[in-house]
Amino acid sequence: MLGLIEPALFAILSIAIIGAGAGVVLANRITTSALLMAFTFLNVAGMFILLGAETIAMFQVLIYVGAITVLILYGVMFTPQSPRPYGLFFQTQKFWAALFVVPIAIFVALVSFAFRDSAGVGPKGGDLLPLATSVFRDFAFPFEVASVLLLAAMVGAIVLVKRDED
Amino acid sequence: MAVPLGAFIAVSAVLFFIGTAGVLVRRNAVVILMSVELMLNATNLALVAFSRRFGSIDERGSVFVVFIFVVAAAEVAVGLAIVLSAYRNRPTVDVDQIRQLKG
Repeated sequence: MLGLIEPALFAILSIAIIGAGAGVVLANRITTSALLMAFTFLNVAGMFILLGAETIAMFQVLIYVGAITVLILYGVMFTPQSPRPYGLFFQTQKFWAALFVVPIAIFVALVSFAFRDSAGVGPKGGDLLPLATSVFRDFAFPFEVASVLLLAAMVGAIVLVKRDED
Repeated sequence: MAVPLGAFIAVSAVLFFIGTAGVLVRRNAVVILMSVELMLNATNLALVAFSRRFGSIDERGSVFVVFIFVVAAAEVAVGLAIVLSAYRNRPTVDVDQIRQLKG
């Protein structure tokens, strides 16, 4: 009975992820899309906890559910649009897009079941210590480069939205 | 009984292709940005799953996830800035109507 909890949680989380992800693409109100995107991110964080990666789950909640969703909602707020018929939400190439995406998606989803857990990898401990060791020892230089990237993105975003007369 | 690794990868693949479909079929630039975020998050799920269940000892896959967080934050900030400045030129976020550079 206790062993069924993990598959049950996985089933609930995967149904929520796929349903909310499809809702992001199909919803006709853009605010609904943004909130469903936040819900998808929250369920992916639950998936990370199920995998035993609590630190990544915490980053996921802080960065994606917190920061990126708020940023997207600001984008929605600053670009108001007049209501339009639902058919105009999609581009004209949707048939061709479906024709190419759906077979590849089904193929990849079926092939991905072929991956098996490698033998000998038992249940590990938390991921904070190995993650911090890797980031600050082996990947210290890429970590600094990432901070430069964030600075460049921040300056670029400010320059792009700055009005000329200021 | 543990959930097999393939199931996590399958969910990740489905989420990735939902994002791909969103990028391909939606007209609203903000929704396209959201779909890109979904694709990045699906990649994170696959990387964490492989790192926890497939890797030998270390957490290299999770380190990549941290860098993907950084790149996703930079991407959404610059992307929204571009959308806002395009909206300031012409009040639309419809990618079919933003075509001033089209010959």
